[in-house]
Amino acid sequence: MEQKKHWSSFGELNNSEAYNKEVKDEFNEELPFVEDESVLAKSGSFLQAKAPRRDFLKYLGFSTAAAAAAASCEMPIKKAIPFANKPEDIVPGIADYYATTYVQDGDVVSVLAKVRDGRPIKLEGNDLSAITNGGTSARVQAAVLDLYDTARLRFPLIAGKEASFEAIDKAIAAELGGNVVLVSSSITSPSTKNIIAQFLSKHPGSKHVTYDAVSHSAMLLANEAAYGKRIMPSYHFDKAKAIVSLSADFLGTWLSPVEFAKQYAVGKKIDEKNISMSKHIHFETVASMTGSNADEKYLCRPSEMGAIALGLLNAVKGGTVTEINNISDATLKAGIMAAAKALTAHKGAALVVAGSNDVNVQILVNAINDAVGANGNTIDFGTTLNYRQGIDSDFATLVEDMNGGKVNTVLFVGANPVYAWPNADKVKAGLAKVKTTISFNEKLDETTSLCKYVIPAPHFLESWGDAEPATGHFSFIQPTIAPLFKTRAFQDSLLKWSGDVNDYTTYLKNFWSIKLGGVTAWDKTLQAGLINPTPSAAVGASLNGAAVASASSAVAAKNPSSKNNNDKNKIELALYQKVGIGAGQGAANPWLQELPDPVTRATWDNYIIVSPAMARTLLNIDLNNAGQADAYEVQPPKKVVKVTVGKTSIELPVLIIPGTHPSTIGIAVGYGRTETLGKAVIGTGKNAYPFASFNGQTISFDQADVQLTLTDQTYPVALIQTHFRYDTAQGNRTEVVKELSLASFLAHPTEIREERAHELKGQIMDGDKMTNEEVLANFEKQGTMYPVYERPGIKWGMNVDLNTCNGCGACVVACNAENNVSVVGKPEVLRGHEMHWLRIDKYFSGDMDNPNVVFQPLMCQHCDNAPCENVCPVAATNHSSEGLNQMTYNRCIGTRYCANNCPFKVRRFNWADYTGADSFPDNQKGEVNDVVLNMNDDLSRMVLNPDVTVRSRGVIEKCSFCVQRLQAAKLEAKKASRPMVDADVKVACQQACPTHAISFGNANDKHSAITMVRAENPNRNFTVLEQLHVLPNVTYLAKVRNDNAKAEGHKEEGHKEEGHTETKKAEATH
Amino acid sequence: MHIKYESQLREPLVYGNKDYHQVTEDILRPIETKPTRLWYIGFSIAVTLLMFGAYSVYREVTYGIGQWNLNKTIGWGWDITNFVWWVGIGHAGTLISAVLLLFRQGWRTGVNRAAEAMTIFAVMCAGQFPIFHMGRVWMAFFVMPYPNSRGPLWVNFNSPLLWDVFAISTYFTVSLLFWYSGLIPDFATVRDRAFTKLRKKLYGIAAFGWTGSTKHWQRHESLSLVLAGLSTPLVLSVHTIVSFDFATSVIPGWHTTIFPPYFVAGAIFSGFAMVQSLLIIVRKVFALEDYITIGHIDLMNKVIVLTGSIVGIAYLTELFMGWYSQNKYEGYTFWYSRAYLFSPYGWSYWGMMACNVLSPQIFWSRKMRRNVFVTFFMSIIVNIGMWFERFVIIVTSLYRDYLPSSWSVYYSPTIWEIGFYVGTFGLFFTCFFLFAKYFPVIAVAEIKYVLKRSGESFKPGMESIEAQPLDKFVHDNAH
Repeated sequence: MEQKKHWSSFGELNNSEAYNKEVKDEFNEELPFVEDESVLAKSGSFLQAKAPRRDFLKYLGFSTAAAAAAASCEMPIKKAIPFANKPEDIVPGIADYYATTYVQDGDVVSVLAKVRDGRPIKLEGNDLSAITNGGTSARVQAAVLDLYDTARLRFPLIAGKEASFEAIDKAIAAELGGNVVLVSSSITSPSTKNIIAQFLSKHPGSKHVTYDAVSHSAMLLANEAAYGKRIMPSYHFDKAKAIVSLSADFLGTWLSPVEFAKQYAVGKKIDEKNISMSKHIHFETVASMTGSNADEKYLCRPSEMGAIALGLLNAVKGGTVTEINNISDATLKAGIMAAAKALTAHKGAALVVAGSNDVNVQILVNAINDAVGANGNTIDFGTTLNYRQGIDSDFATLVEDMNGGKVNTVLFVGANPVYAWPNADKVKAGLAKVKTTISFNEKLDETTSLCKYVIPAPHFLESWGDAEPATGHFSFIQPTIAPLFKTRAFQDSLLKWSGDVNDYTTYLKNFWSIKLGGVTAWDKTLQAGLINPTPSAAVGASLNGAAVASASSAVAAKNPSSKNNNDKNKIELALYQKVGIGAGQGAANPWLQELPDPVTRATWDNYIIVSPAMARTLLNIDLNNAGQADAYEVQPPKKVVKVTVGKTSIELPVLIIPGTHPSTIGIAVGYGRTETLGKAVIGTGKNAYPFASFNGQTISFDQADVQLTLTDQTYPVALIQTHFRYDTAQGNRTEVVKELSLASFLAHPTEIREERAHELKGQIMDGDKMTNEEVLANFEKQGTMYPVYERPGIKWGMNVDLNTCNGCGACVVACNAENNVSVVGKPEVLRGHEMHWLRIDKYFSGDMDNPNVVFQPLMCQHCDNAPCENVCPVAATNHSSEGLNQMTYNRCIGTRYCANNCPFKVRRFNWADYTGADSFPDNQKGEVNDVVLNMNDDLSRMVLNPDVTVRSRGVIEKCSFCVQRLQAAKLEAKKASRPMVDADVKVACQQACPTHAISFGNANDKHSAITMVRAENPNRNFTVLEQLHVLPNVTYLAKVRNDNAKAEGHKEEGHKEEGHTETKKAEATH
Repeated sequence: MHIKYESQLREPLVYGNKDYHQVTEDILRPIETKPTRLWYIGFSIAVTLLMFGAYSVYREVTYGIGQWNLNKTIGWGWDITNFVWWVGIGHAGTLISAVLLLFRQGWRTGVNRAAEAMTIFAVMCAGQFPIFHMGRVWMAFFVMPYPNSRGPLWVNFNSPLLWDVFAISTYFTVSLLFWYSGLIPDFATVRDRAFTKLRKKLYGIAAFGWTGSTKHWQRHESLSLVLAGLSTPLVLSVHTIVSFDFATSVIPGWHTTIFPPYFVAGAIFSGFAMVQSLLIIVRKVFALEDYITIGHIDLMNKVIVLTGSIVGIAYLTELFMGWYSQNKYEGYTFWYSRAYLFSPYGWSYWGMMACNVLSPQIFWSRKMRRNVFVTFFMSIIVNIGMWFERFVIIVTSLYRDYLPSSWSVYYSPTIWEIGFYVGTFGLFFTCFFLFAKYFPVIAVAEIKYVLKRSGESFKPGMESIEAQPLDKFVHDNAH
C-alpha cells in the first residue's frame, strides 16, 4: 500500500533547497572555534565573536579544571585489599562475637569479644553469667586496648637480649632444679592449677606462692581462725536490707565489684508502687566510690576501724552507746549505734563487710555477721570466691628465703612484688641471690625486667584458658585473634618443662572434655563461654568463739583512747585503689588513665586526698570562702605536700575532697610505674606502696603517724570536673540534679513533680492559673511560641536511674571503645580538651565536711528542641526523624557555636589530631607530642571500631546514642520482617553497666523498657534543665537516699531547709 | 570681626587662610612627597606584626585550634572577642560618612575619608576571626549559600552565624563602594597633578576617567546619597546581627534582649574612639590640624560621652534584670561571675566598667574634650574597655553556665591567640600606612565644598553679605 505523504509547508512538499537548509541548520549553532577564527582574526576581540559567552565559560571551565588539577595535593593512597581466599566464617563488615573471659590477677569477668574482620575491638559482658549478668567494669572494657599495646613484649629474652623459645627451653632445662618457687597472683583456673601441681611435683621441695599486690589475706586468715577454713565465702548484697561497710570499697575495688554492684543495685532500685530500699551505712576514712553511694556515711580514722568493729559487735549484741568507750567522736558513736540498729532490725538480711587487712578486725566482722544472722543468708559458705588467694606472710617468708639463698629458681606469673611489695629493695636483693629467675609476662614490668628469662605471655584475647571465680562457676577463655607477637602461654612452658607432650590447648580440651563428657559438650560450652552451677541455698558456718574473744582483746588493747592524747593530733594515711588503675594493672592503659576517678574526677595522676578541714590548716585554703574556693578550682596547679612515714617520703599534689576524715589523708596505689610499661605511664603519679607495711602477718595499707610538710611547689592535676556543688549564692540548681531522702519521698511522693511544675510554671502563658499536673502536661506545647511537631515512628530515648548508678565508669570506657573516642593525654585534659562523649558528673550537697554525693551520667541529651541545631551555620548538626540529634562530621566546619550553646556542655571539639585521622599526615609530630602519643600508632589504631567514623581535627563530636548499633538493630528487624524490639539494640553504655542503671529504647513503643521505666516512675522522673524547653530525650530518675537518721534531724523539709541554709552560708561568704 | 550671621555654636571647619589650591597642596603633600623616616619605621613595625599574626594563624590552621587555650566549656575566647571588637570599631566610619551626610553635618568632611578607611580595614581585620576560628577553615566556603551537588545542601538560615556572614559581607561591600566612590574625584586630582607616567596611569585607572564635568558631579552626588541611604540601616543592622550571635542563644549572660541597641551604641562608642586615636596621629604627622580641627575632636568626644553613657545604662540594666528576673542562672552570671570583683574574672568586668562607663564622663568638661592629649589617652582607654566588654560577655558567660560540673578552669590565651590579635593590628596598620601614603586622607573635594561656607578664611568675605539688607539676603539665600 502506498504511504500517504503528510506535509506541513510548501517547502516540505516541494522539498525545496531553502527548506532543506533550514531543517539542517535549525538547531545547529556553530561552535565558534572553526568558523569564527576568521572573525576573530578580523576583529581581534572576543567581544566580536559570535558566541563569546560560551567561549568564556569553556575557557573558564578548562582553566579552573587545569588549575585545580595542577594545584591539587598528592593524597596518600590507602589500599583496601579484599580476601583472595575468603575465610569461611568471616564476612567483611559483619562482627562475630566469641564468648571468652577477662582474667587479670584473680579478677574474672565473663565477656563476649566483638571481632570485626579478625580483630577483637570491644568486650561486652556475657549476659549468661550468673555472677555478673552481663555487667562489666571500666577495667574490663579497657582490656581490649591492652591487646594492641605497643609496649608489649614481642619476643623472649635471656638476660635482656632477644632469644628463641628453643634457646630458653634448653637453658632452663639445664638450670631448673633444686628449690623452685612459682610466684603468681591469684590463679582461678582449675586446669592451670593442675599444671602447676604437675610441674612442681617434678621438683621436690618446690612450692607455689600466691602473691596479691593488694591482698585479702586478713579475710582468709580470719575465716580460717573463725570458721576453720581458709576460704572466702560469697556475699549476697541483693539479699541484704542493711549493709554496713567498714571502709570496704565493694562497688569499686573490693573483691568482686562487678558482682557486688549488680547485687547492691537490687536493693537500691525503687518500685514506686511499693517503696522500699536497702540501707547502707558506710564507715569511711578517705572518700571512696562506695562511700559516696552510701545512705549514711561516718568518717573515722583508719586506726579506729578495730574499735568500730568491736563497738559494733558490742552494740549488735545489745550494748549501748556508753559501752563503745573506745570512740571519742560523738557522731561516730551515733553512727555505730545507727549501724547496729539497722543490722539488728534486719536480722537475717544484714551484712557487714570490712576492707581492713587486719586479721582481728576481720574476725570481729565475722562475729558481727554471725550475730546478725548473715551466715547462711547474706553470706554463703557453700559457694566460695577465688578472686584473692594470696597470703602476705607466705610471700614475706619467700623474701626471707630468697635473701637467705634458699631459693634456686623463681618463676613469676602475674605477680609484681618488685613494684608492689612495701620493702621492694629487699625483694630486689633477694632476686639477685636467686640463680634462675623466670618471668611470664605481657610486658617488661618492674619484676620482669629483673628476671633472667622472660617469656612473653599472650593477652587473654589471644589465649586459651578457663577460670573458676566461685565454686561451680566456670568461665572459659578462647582466642579471638592469632597471637600478634612471639608469645607463649605460661602453661605451655610449664607443660613443656614438666615433660608433658601436650600443649596447653590440647591439655585444656582434654581436661574439659573428660569433665563435661565429650568434645561436643566442650565445644558447646565454649559457645556459651561459661557454666553456671545449679542455684543452691546459702550455707552457713559455725563461729569459733575463742578466736573472737582473742581478737576482741587484741583490738581492745590497741584501742586509741588507751594511748596518750597525742594520737588524736596525729595524721593518718590510708592507701586505696582507684577504680580504673586498681593495684597498678590499669596504669599502662590510656583509656583507664584518662578515665576520671569517680571520687576526685582526676585523670593521669595520683595525689594526696585531704579533707576541707585539713586544707584549711595545711594548705590555707578554705573551701567555704568563695574566693579561695574559686582560686583552688580554676587553677589546675595544686599545692604539693611532702608525705613522710619513717624514712619514706614522697611529694604529691593535694586535692581537697569533702567526705574525708579531717585527720586522714589518702593516696592511691598503682602509680609511678616503670616506663617500659608504655607511653601512658610516663609522668603519671608516684608509687605509694612503700607506705604500706608488713606487720608480720599481713600487709597494712594504713599508717597511723604521717608527717606532712607543705612545699612551695605546685603540680598540675588534670581534673575533668572542678566544681562539685550545685548550690550557689543565687540559688540551688535543683533543675540540674534532684535528690531526696527516702523519708521525705515516702511522706511526700510527688515532691519532685511539684518542684518540676513550680520550675516550669513561669514558662507557660497563664501557668500560674494551672494545676501542677496541667503545667507538666502542657509544658511541651505551651512552653514555646513555635509549633510542636508530632514525632511518629521510632523515638529513641534513654533513662538513667541515679539510684542504681554508682559512678563506676564502666560506661565511660565502653563508650570510648565503641565510638573511637580519642585519648588526649594529660596536657590536653589540663586544658579542658578531653573528648569523652559520656561523663559521670558528681555533685556534693549538704554538709561540706561529710556531704551527700550524687553521680549523674551525662551524655548528649538528644534534645527535641536542640539549641545546638539552630545555631550551626552549615546545618552540620541536625535532627533525625527518630529523635536523634545527629552530627555530620564532614559538614562540620568547627565554629564551636553548638558547643557554646549546649546547656549540658556535652559537645566535644577535636582541638588537635588525636587519632592520626588528619588530612595532613603526622600532623602533630614534634609539635604537641603528648597529645598524640597514646593512640595514633598503627597498632593502637587496630582497636578502632570500623563502624564509627574516626573524627578529624577541627570538628565537633558527641554522643550519637551509638547510632551504628541502632541502624544495625533496625536492619536486623527489617531482615526478619518484624517490628524492632528492645532486645535488638543495646547501646554501649547500657551494655557495660553492671547495675543496669541505663534503659534505652524506642519511647514510642508502648512495650519498650524505656516507656515502662518512665511510666512506672512518674514521681522520680525528671529531665535536666527542663525549664529551658530543650526537651531532652534523656530522662533521669531522682536519687533517693535512705538516710532516715539525717532526715529526722532535719524534720520533713530535710533537703530543702538544708539547701536554704547552705545558700545563706554561701551568701554570707560572698 | 564679629558678624551677624556667624554661628555662635559652630566653629569654622577649616582653619587658616586657605584657597582651593592650598587645600589640594596640603592634603596631597604626603602622596606626592617621599615618605618620612617615621613612616618607614611605623610601616615596618606594622608589617612585622602582620607577619607574626600570619605565623600564628599558620600554626592554628596546621596544628588545630588546640594551639589556643579554648576548651570544652569556653568554645569562644579571644577569637570572637576580637571579632566583635574590630566589627564595633568598623562602625564609626559609616556612621560618619552616611548618617552624618544624611543629617547634613558639615563637620564630617574633615574626618570621613580616614574614618571610612578605618572602617574598611577594621572590618577586614574582624573578618579574619570568624574565618580562622573555624576548626576546618578550608571548608569555610560551606557558609556560602551556593547551588551545589550535595543534595543540594543549603546553609542553615536559622543560624545567627550565617546572618553574620551576610551582614558583614554586605557591610564591607557597601562601605568599600562608598569609600571608593568618594575617592574618585580626589584620585582624579592626584592624576591631574601626576609627575610620572606610571602615577598618571595608575591614578588614572583608579579615577575611572573622572573629568569633573557637571554630569559627573551630579551622578557622584546621587550615588553618594544612595549609598548613604543604603549604609545607614547597615550601621544599625551589622552590630545588631553580631549581637544576635549571643542574644539568640540559651546561655545566661548571652540570652538578653537588650543586646542589639546596646551593641550598636557600644560599636559607635568604640568606633569613634578609634577614629580619635588615628586622626590625632594623622593630623599631627601630616600637619593637617587646619582640616581636622580641635572642633572635630570636640564633637567626636561628645559622641563618645553619649554612647559611653548609653552603654553604661545598658550594663546597669543587665545587672538590674539579673536580680529582678530572679533567674538563678542569670543572677549567678551577672552578680557573681561578673559584678563580684573577687570572682575569677571579676577584674575584667570592673576593668570594663572603669574604662567604658566611668572614665568617659570626663568629657562632660569642654576643656577635657578639647584637650588632644586627654582625648588620645581616653580613646585608647575606651578601646581597651570595649575589648573587655566583649571578653566579659563571651568568657564570663561561658565559663560557668548551667551545669556546675562543666565549669571551666581559668582561661588565658596562648601566645598564638595573642599573636593572631596582634597580627590583625599589623594588618590594620599596614593598610592604614599604605592608605596614608597613597590615598588622600581627607576628602579634598569635600573640603573644597565646605571651604567657602565654613572656612575661617572666608569669614571676611561674609562681611559684604553682612552689609546687605535683610530682604536682599533672604532673597539671595532662600531656595
